[in-house]
Amino acid sequence: MNRPARFVAIWLVSLLALVLLIGAFNAAIDPYDVFGAPRIAGIDLFKPRAKNHSMLAKTYQIERFHPVTVLLGSSRVHIGIDAHGAAWPAAMQPVYNYAIPGWYGTNTSYRSLQEAVAAGPVKNAVIFLDFQNFFAPEPTAVVADEDQKRLLVQADGSPNPARRLQRLSDAALSLFTMGALLDSAGTILAQHDAVVLDLPVDGSSNEADFINAARADGMYDLFAQKVAFEQDRAEGLATFLANWQGPLPNMDIVSRIISYCRAHGIALTLAIAPSHGDGLELYWRAGLWPRVEQFKTELASVVAKDGGGAVPLWDFSDYSEWTTEPVPASGDRKTPTRWYWEPTHFKKALGALMVRRMFDHDPTPFGVLLTPDNVAARNAAVRAQRQALVCESGRAMLTALPHPRPTGCDGSGISTRESHRGPT
Amino acid sequence: MLFNSYLFIFGYMPVVLAGFWLLGQRRRDWALIWLTLASLFFYAWWRPVNVLLIAPSIAINYGLSRALQRYGETRPVLARVVLLSGIAFNICFLGYFKYLTFLQGTINDAFGAGLILTHVILPLGISFITFQKIAFLIDVHAGRVTSFTFRDYALFVLFFPQLVAGPIVHYREMMPQFHAAPCRFDAENVAVGISLFFFGLAKKLVFADPLSRLIAPLYTQTTPVTMIDAWIAALGFTLQIYFDFSGYSDMALGLARFFGIKLPVNFNSPLKASSMIDFWLRWHVSLTRFLTAYIYNPLTLALTRRRQAKGKPVFGGRNTTVSAFATLLAGPTILTMFVSGLWHGAGYTYVLWGVLHGLLLSVNHAWRLLRPRFWRDARSYTRLMKPVGFVLTFVSVVFGMALFRAPTIGGAVGLWQGMVGFHGLTVPKALFSHFGPVANWLQALGVQPVWSSGSFLMEAVLRIGILLLIALCLPNTLELLSRYEPAIGVRPPRQQPAWMGRFAWTPSPAWAVGLACVAAAGILSLGELSEFLYWQF
Repeated sequence: MNRPARFVAIWLVSLLALVLLIGAFNAAIDPYDVFGAPRIAGIDLFKPRAKNHSMLAKTYQIERFHPVTVLLGSSRVHIGIDAHGAAWPAAMQPVYNYAIPGWYGTNTSYRSLQEAVAAGPVKNAVIFLDFQNFFAPEPTAVVADEDQKRLLVQADGSPNPARRLQRLSDAALSLFTMGALLDSAGTILAQHDAVVLDLPVDGSSNEADFINAARADGMYDLFAQKVAFEQDRAEGLATFLANWQGPLPNMDIVSRIISYCRAHGIALTLAIAPSHGDGLELYWRAGLWPRVEQFKTELASVVAKDGGGAVPLWDFSDYSEWTTEPVPASGDRKTPTRWYWEPTHFKKALGALMVRRMFDHDPTPFGVLLTPDNVAARNAAVRAQRQALVCESGRAMLTALPHPRPTGCDGSGISTRESHRGPT
Repeated sequence: MLFNSYLFIFGYMPVVLAGFWLLGQRRRDWALIWLTLASLFFYAWWRPVNVLLIAPSIAINYGLSRALQRYGETRPVLARVVLLSGIAFNICFLGYFKYLTFLQGTINDAFGAGLILTHVILPLGISFITFQKIAFLIDVHAGRVTSFTFRDYALFVLFFPQLVAGPIVHYREMMPQFHAAPCRFDAENVAVGISLFFFGLAKKLVFADPLSRLIAPLYTQTTPVTMIDAWIAALGFTLQIYFDFSGYSDMALGLARFFGIKLPVNFNSPLKASSMIDFWLRWHVSLTRFLTAYIYNPLTLALTRRRQAKGKPVFGGRNTTVSAFATLLAGPTILTMFVSGLWHGAGYTYVLWGVLHGLLLSVNHAWRLLRPRFWRDARSYTRLMKPVGFVLTFVSVVFGMALFRAPTIGGAVGLWQGMVGFHGLTVPKALFSHFGPVANWLQALGVQPVWSSGSFLMEAVLRIGILLLIALCLPNTLELLSRYEPAIGVRPPRQQPAWMGRFAWTPSPAWAVGLACVAAAGILSLGELSEFLYWQF
């Protein structure tokens, strides 16, 4: 064999060996938890790289997990509620946290619920609804085509014929891509960090992102950065809803979720996720508070009508002591917060409290069961909470914003600028 | 079908090569017909209707070429008419598909005509194919091509490794190779082809594409781009298009080499250029060669003759007058680069980019004429001014690339403003808070901490830094493979550093394993499909 021929032969054999070796390495480390490879301490016990592929990872995880209870929602639920915490009653366990981090639409919860039911013996569903995410159309960035094709069933409930091909593609991309190789290497390297981000088998998060950020920058910076981000989002939402007439969008998805659960014998619990007072203030500033109240009013009505009284709707969104803790001063990297990482993401402690309130008769006066009968009083009570806390006591909410002067303290509870846009 | 796709690498190429080598063992012309049909299939795969457009164009050009060959010597006037008709036909063909909408938009902008814009789908590679056909007509008319058949002509136009994005080749440098090609498995050609192709694939997928995804948001953000981000956007795109085009050019060379064909050099480390003239001898070399041969030279020649006839001074080295320089060098240069800009894209940004490069080339030429008058020692000049020339060229190219990437001239101007600091200088707060006492000093200088992503900045600086080192400090593929003539006429330099001799590519086991790693990196990055930037032209 001449030199060039030997070169071609060695190249070909080396290439094949290398690609197979990389595939085997990726299968063993399984950075996205697609294959359910054994987790080995010091090597791949934690899966930090699964976070950016949560739709992929969680779909495979839930099919292996077979939960009795499924938790659905956005990143707030993903981060803030432990699926394996002691707060859950034994009858509801095992619980799988199928909340998807990132900006997701309400319809995602519906599709995820279908997937969970198709995958296992789900008896309970707990869905947290976010005011700011509720109105968003299904974002293609998060729920891309492949995320739909991967699911066991289609939107109409029939078996998904595209699934096999998509799963082959998932396997190929999880084994034979540079991204997977880098993520496998990153997984191993991250194991010895002080706090390692993880996606455990029950889909919960270990809050490592926030723990590390809080240590590096302090709580004030976490709050300030999120407030700046959410401010833009709130203004965008205000523009979107400015001329919206009639019932709010996406209420039909709630109806569909309720009907689906009734049809499949699933006990459904709905909850309005809590925001820190700083986050709620952004709605006031953007003139969205009437829409927040409208959201609660319509939701209570739809849940009562379609749920036939069997679907509890909890409202944790208020200005109580659990949602208005002070933000440590700028530059303070040591003082922790108890309930919140930043205005929208609550800590697991608050998550556990909510779980106990909903399922373990915890007497803590946080959150109320919302019904069409009490929703007006609840809205008035939250307004009064704010009036007392923000307007009368002069408590500087929104410490992280450049203009801390509160909006809507003209006596009505709703600023004059937006008062004409009352709940319809 | 993209070169950087599973289908092309694991489907199309093995089948085409196997067919070519098997048929070549029986009859060479069968192998060449197979290659022509495979190229047509490659072209049709994109949009089958394109074949209906290109096939008549090939037939008409072939007919015109035959007429030129027939009447070239016996009836020169008729031949000239045929030539001009052929050129006009090709320009109209290109003009309709590529420039009609732009022309209508320009008329609307200038006169408020309110013409309804016609949206014509651009056939793939039309700019490259058209230039090649025009060059062929001119070569036949000039007698540089004397014998050809329809089969040869079709293969020349359709040969898939260079069909879509060049290099722009001449018939006379390609057909002798096709006629001499062994059309059988040749281990050396395959070894060189593999090396070139996979070096190119890795450049495209490992270097260019991640950078593209990183900088894309900077070109769509609605708020003014501040200084650091503006430089990231400009440098990032310069390196993206550099590795994209370099990668494509290597892959084209490699693919052609599988068939025993050597293509001309198209890309030769242009960011190492120490002047604008040097830059254009390294960037898209085959286009520069075409424009020089078929636009710049004839134009300069005609203008020189006209000035001579009028008794005016012509170009005369150091003694060139200002008017001769303006008429015979700056004017034709700017006009040629205007055409180059327009060729790249039907848009004001491309035109302005071309004119800008024309102006820079003219300044470079003027400097070359003036410099010896006050700096006679060429050796000291080169020693001192080469680095200065490199920096000036690099910065000019980076600034110019803003026009290439920005969607509008306003967008490019906004980016330029950002690059010179008109929109302020900001640093992510996450980084700023770790600067300690330096932070106060920076703030006093006007640097503002903002809530932007620190990890974005770190990744961008790291990527751009590494890619700049690779582009500026490492030998390029042509240099590495120079012992095996990777492109037409590329040979090892007579003097090269000793380390270069040691690391130069040879078909050794070490290079085979090393290249397997490069190929694996490329293949494992095939997940996301992305077009080559030059395919859009």
